Amino acid sequence: MRSLNIAATGMLAQQLNVEVISNNIANINTTGYKRQRAEFHDLLYQDLLRPGTTSSDTGTVVPSGIQIGLGVKPAAVYRITEQGNLVITDNNLDLAINGKGYFAVELPSGDTGYTRSGALGRSPDGDLVTANGYIVQPGITIPNDAISVTINAQGEVLVAIDGQLTPSTVGQIQLANFPNEAGLQAIGNNLFLETPGSGNAILAAAGSPGFGTIQQGALETSNVNVVAEITNLITAQRAYEMNSRVIQASDEMMSSMVQLR
Amino acid sequence: MENSLIVALARQSVLARQMDAISNNLANLNTAGFKSESMVFKEQIESAGDNQVISLVHDVTYFRDTTAGPMTNTDNPLDLAIRGEGFFAVETDDGQRYTRHGVFQLDRQGRVVTSDGHPLLGAGGAPITVPPNTSNIIVARDGTVSADAQKIGRIELFSFENPAALSKIGNSLYEAKGQAPQATRDSDIAQGMVEGSNVNGVVEMTRMIDTVRSYQSAGKLVEMEHKRILDAINTLVAEA
Repeated sequence: MRSLNIAATGMLAQQLNVEVISNNIANINTTGYKRQRAEFHDLLYQDLLRPGTTSSDTGTVVPSGIQIGLGVKPAAVYRITEQGNLVITDNNLDLAINGKGYFAVELPSGDTGYTRSGALGRSPDGDLVTANGYIVQPGITIPNDAISVTINAQGEVLVAIDGQLTPSTVGQIQLANFPNEAGLQAIGNNLFLETPGSGNAILAAAGSPGFGTIQQGALETSNVNVVAEITNLITAQRAYEMNSRVIQASDEMMSSMVQLR
Repeated sequence: MENSLIVALARQSVLARQMDAISNNLANLNTAGFKSESMVFKEQIESAGDNQVISLVHDVTYFRDTTAGPMTNTDNPLDLAIRGEGFFAVETDDGQRYTRHGVFQLDRQGRVVTSDGHPLLGAGGAPITVPPNTSNIIVARDGTVSADAQKIGRIELFSFENPAALSKIGNSLYEAKGQAPQATRDSDIAQGMVEGSNVNGVVEMTRMIDTVRSYQSAGKLVEMEHKRILDAINTLVAEA
């Protein structure tokens, strides 16, 4: 009975689908989270009668043949990098990227990680760091005597120091862009790593052609759409149930075969 | 002599294959661009001697339902759905293959590829390459691809004289098998949408129940026939 195994591939695929959906729903309030979608492909085909086989010596051909499909397999779980909404937080170190691009951060391993989550803070040395304490590249140090920090759309960090009339620039935040954003490897903590699939990072100042601008005092919400996720969850659950019914039915067929003698 | 056993066997073997087809449809309930399939049965007349004929059942072919699946909105600029009968052409190691699974991504060179990395072919058979630092990809209804308002190519759709004769090779790809693909402009592309599977769960479940019950009744026939033969033997032996 091929149908038992075919239905099992169907159940496994829907299980993966539910897992991806539940991760989206779990991250509904995660800053900068991009929703994921599971995509499926049909599995191999067994040719019982090949399409196009000659059915007589006058050259007539079988129009469509008999090909038995052997189920389904996950093809990809890809990220949809649509822009999330911006929420105003009024915290002057909360930065949202409006458009394409990632903040580059130095990971403890020495590698460069990339993130869209701009909830930044200051380290004890005054460096601009992420919520995990990783330094945002290129390193920008805010002097201890700064009374206010302004970050403009191009990522320039301007600090006002008591006694100085004009604010001074202490650095400019760079954004990283990739030929294929969906190919980045997610490593948790809102961080991504570059992979051969994503291509090499292209660094430029915010606001350069093709790069987003920076919005101070705001955060980018996740782009998860609850209604869509719940609808997908219902579809996935029903598909799972139907496949489990197929297993039951195949089992009934087999048991009726066993009971013959 | 044991013709009824052979008839029941023929019935059961085609029903088992029908069950495989139904379970494959249900397994692909959420596979983008999947087309449901059902089997076509034919009566086969066999002579059984003494001017008697028996009719056996035989599966001759597959019927592929090529109606469009439901469109779902994903808002991903590289999810493309085809309205109409066309197919996307993709380049694989074994040559050109066709698909309606319109979920594409960019690879590191910026080419538009399927989830297996096969490049999507544009007009003239060249892959479509999106320049780096593009912030906005727009695919028009006729397949024209623009990157930041700059035209970079056009996706060519192909149609076939007999789409049912395309051979499925898995991974949502079809092989032309000798049919000449014709570039078509009758179909158009919807961006940000995915064409779902056209499998109807309720119909498949009903057919599945039908298949299981027919299989069981064929089994019953075998059982009764077996009993009849056994009775015959017992009666004849008792009389001897």
